[in-house]
Amino acid sequence: MSSIKEGEVLLSVENISLAFGAVQAISNVTFDIRKGEVRAIIGPNGAGKTSMLNVINGFYHPQEGTITFAGKTRSRMLPHEAAAQGISRTFQNVALFKGMSTLDNIMTGRVLKQKASLIEQAFYFGRGRSEEIEHREFVENIIDFLQIQAIRNQPVGRLPYGLQKRVEFGRALAAEPELLLLDEPMAGMNLEEKEDMSRYIMEVREQFGTTVALIEHDMGVVMDLSDRVVVLDYGCQLADGTPDEVSASQQVIDAYLGVSHD
Amino acid sequence: MSEAEFCDVGLYDTFPKVLAHNADKWPDEIAMREKSYGIWIEYSWSDYNTAVKQIAMGLRELGFERGQVVGMIGDNRPEWVQFEIAGQALGGMSIGIYRDCMADEADYLINYAELTMIMAEDEEQVDKLLELGDRIPSVKKIFYDDPRGIEKYDDPRLMKLSDLKALGAGRIAASPDDYDREVALGKAEDVAVLCTTSGTTSRPKLAMLQGGPFLQHCVAYLTKDPKLPTDNYCAVLPLPWIMEQVYAIGHSLVCRNIVNFVEENDTMMADMREIAPNFVLLAPRTWEALVADVRTRMMDASAFKQKLFNWGVERGMKAFEAGRRDWLADFLLFNPLRDRLGLGQVTSAATGGAALGPETFKFFLAMGVPLRQLYGQTELAGAYTLHEPDDVDFDTVGLPFDNTEIRIDNPDPEGVGEIVTRTGGMFLGFYKNQEATDADVKDGWMHTGDAGYIRPKDGHLVVIDRIADLAETNQGIRFSPQFIENKLKFSPFIGETVILGNKRDYLTAMLCIRFDIVAKWAEQNAVSFTNYTNLSARPEVYDMIEREVRQVNATLPEAQRVRKFLLLYKELDADDGELTRTRKVRRGVVGERYANIIDTLYSDRKSVHVDTEITFQDGTKSRIVTDLVVVDLGHDGGVGDTGEAGKAA
Repeated sequence: MSSIKEGEVLLSVENISLAFGAVQAISNVTFDIRKGEVRAIIGPNGAGKTSMLNVINGFYHPQEGTITFAGKTRSRMLPHEAAAQGISRTFQNVALFKGMSTLDNIMTGRVLKQKASLIEQAFYFGRGRSEEIEHREFVENIIDFLQIQAIRNQPVGRLPYGLQKRVEFGRALAAEPELLLLDEPMAGMNLEEKEDMSRYIMEVREQFGTTVALIEHDMGVVMDLSDRVVVLDYGCQLADGTPDEVSASQQVIDAYLGVSHD
Repeated sequence: MSEAEFCDVGLYDTFPKVLAHNADKWPDEIAMREKSYGIWIEYSWSDYNTAVKQIAMGLRELGFERGQVVGMIGDNRPEWVQFEIAGQALGGMSIGIYRDCMADEADYLINYAELTMIMAEDEEQVDKLLELGDRIPSVKKIFYDDPRGIEKYDDPRLMKLSDLKALGAGRIAASPDDYDREVALGKAEDVAVLCTTSGTTSRPKLAMLQGGPFLQHCVAYLTKDPKLPTDNYCAVLPLPWIMEQVYAIGHSLVCRNIVNFVEENDTMMADMREIAPNFVLLAPRTWEALVADVRTRMMDASAFKQKLFNWGVERGMKAFEAGRRDWLADFLLFNPLRDRLGLGQVTSAATGGAALGPETFKFFLAMGVPLRQLYGQTELAGAYTLHEPDDVDFDTVGLPFDNTEIRIDNPDPEGVGEIVTRTGGMFLGFYKNQEATDADVKDGWMHTGDAGYIRPKDGHLVVIDRIADLAETNQGIRFSPQFIENKLKFSPFIGETVILGNKRDYLTAMLCIRFDIVAKWAEQNAVSFTNYTNLSARPEVYDMIEREVRQVNATLPEAQRVRKFLLLYKELDADDGELTRTRKVRRGVVGERYANIIDTLYSDRKSVHVDTEITFQDGTKSRIVTDLVVVDLGHDGGVGDTGEAGKAA
């Protein structure tokens, strides 16, 4: 864990630009995420939100700009580096091991914490054994936290979508992240599932002190959950501020919520 | 295998005394298990007693006095049981409150019993109590076990259970003999448990059960159906209910079988399978739901598996009827199925509370689950009749225990009258309600209000229905609505039913479809639907249910057949007061709420318009506008053409 205190800047992206050939996905975006906050990235379809998350955790490498995480500035992040530094994420389309159980899927989130050798793990002795017990305990805490005891041993491929999202959330938590990136955590959920998910996001922050950055389409959710919101449109940054500030901005209303024709 | 041995309840005549005795004699034997964080955690008798001791001394430290009342609300947990016995150890009485009860029901019980100390499991239950604000002035402390979400409150009454235990541990260290002294003060005749009666017609009453007699009654039960100290029991019935008090507390204290607590309600089936209990009591509807679930799953299975299943069931049933077992059906179907249902090790299984369909009964017996019917009342410390293992009869509830006498009052020419009983475990009376006690208990005999008779050939008790629930049509035909309702509910597609006809010209029915099964059926038959209301209104569903009703009608005398029926737009729900917590129909409430619909059933109209609002458990409301179609089966209940309908089905 870094030595950054609550409320200080944990991650900042400066003048990020990203292009795929002639398509400018992100142009000159700058914002920061403070430790302990829930930060939302919103914008219409194709605004570059997911690209932005991909830049943060190193899936995409921007042509311009810098990323500063936990005091270290770099021009590009690498995925394994991001993970090792304490950034974990969920995906817009659930990316779990469908044939594996809920428990095993969440256990994979602990993989970076495992120090035991292959031999120790294969024959279940020494560190292989003690670590397995320790990690299992941590994972069981997450299962309890997310109230998914009943699906502990079920293959995730057979679970309904809302639960799969919850499992993926659990796997991201298992890495004990400092920064948790959630790509549309509530997409395709019904009202009750959304309420549950919102509660978990709030509790994650309270219980684990995790910083959360999320992309979400449901404006109600965004406005209720997040401390600050950054708005993107066609790769450009339209606004940045508290939910109230952002929703009062004429530019945002025009671009995101549609120009009114009264 | 060891022999069943019972604690000498003449000597150790209260719950805390038996517990202390067990902890003294078998300190390291396992008493309880709880699944937590995916692992079965074991508690020995010594752990059990220590926890009770700490809670009791903590309560004493907080000023709990003899004669006061402790309460528990929440899921079944070891702490629930420990808190109850701790209260009794201090000479208090305990009351269990159903976990799904609404705030105003809790309000009523808490004020009625003047609860001082209450154990609420988690945030959900704590919220319920805090919501009552200053309406529960008698409550001094609210203890909680699961701190999640509760830390945000700063109500001075709130206290963590572990803090209470620490408080108690401190007192034990200071004066180690206090607890034993308190326990020794307890007498057999002290009221230990205030058990809520199911209250089909009114607010629940509280039956005062004394520790000594209760334990004696447990011994009488166990004499008939012994358990070994190595036997496993899964505490999945609601703890406030008398039978769970008997099994999870009484029986386990007396014969030291292991009580297992499942992790969550959702994990019940999986956890039960892991434990493979030796004894289960399930409500008839749960047994039926098990069969229904098996059958639904079979609908999804491959053609080969379906064939194998049907072949196995048929073979097994035939063998069972001939009084033997079919090893091939056992090997290929029934053994794996029993294991799957968590019934692999069951040596004794029971059902009670209502009739169980003979088909279901037979299915389980054929499967090798030794299912037996029992019968009893809260006021009489639960069950007091049970089938002998080799003398099971679907129509009866078996023979009384050794400490039980049964007589039939005011019998009619056929011997049917009121069942009147006296048992060793009988209650002292209703708490703070002498009037109700006097109405039910005369010269030490409990008037149960049930109609029944004792079968002359073998002395088995046969229970028909509540006397008050027997109904009579305008033509003077007496019938038992529940009897017909149960027959209808034996159909896998029908969830709840209400039979009407009292002081009317003919019988009608309001039916609720069993959503999950009908939904599956709809899928297979390409019937599209959006929700419960919509599915209930589909003509295809109506046709299918009509066939089911016709089949039931064919088994009834003509005057007792259902002439008209309709499918209700929602399920009957205990939260709406339409069912009791034990899921019996509250006819008064139903009659009032659906008066408009009922009138339509007794008019010439073919449908009734419904425009109503329903409130979901989370408080959101939804408006329902629909037309309910009334199906008229004619004078003969549509039995005339059952043959044809049967073919279509």
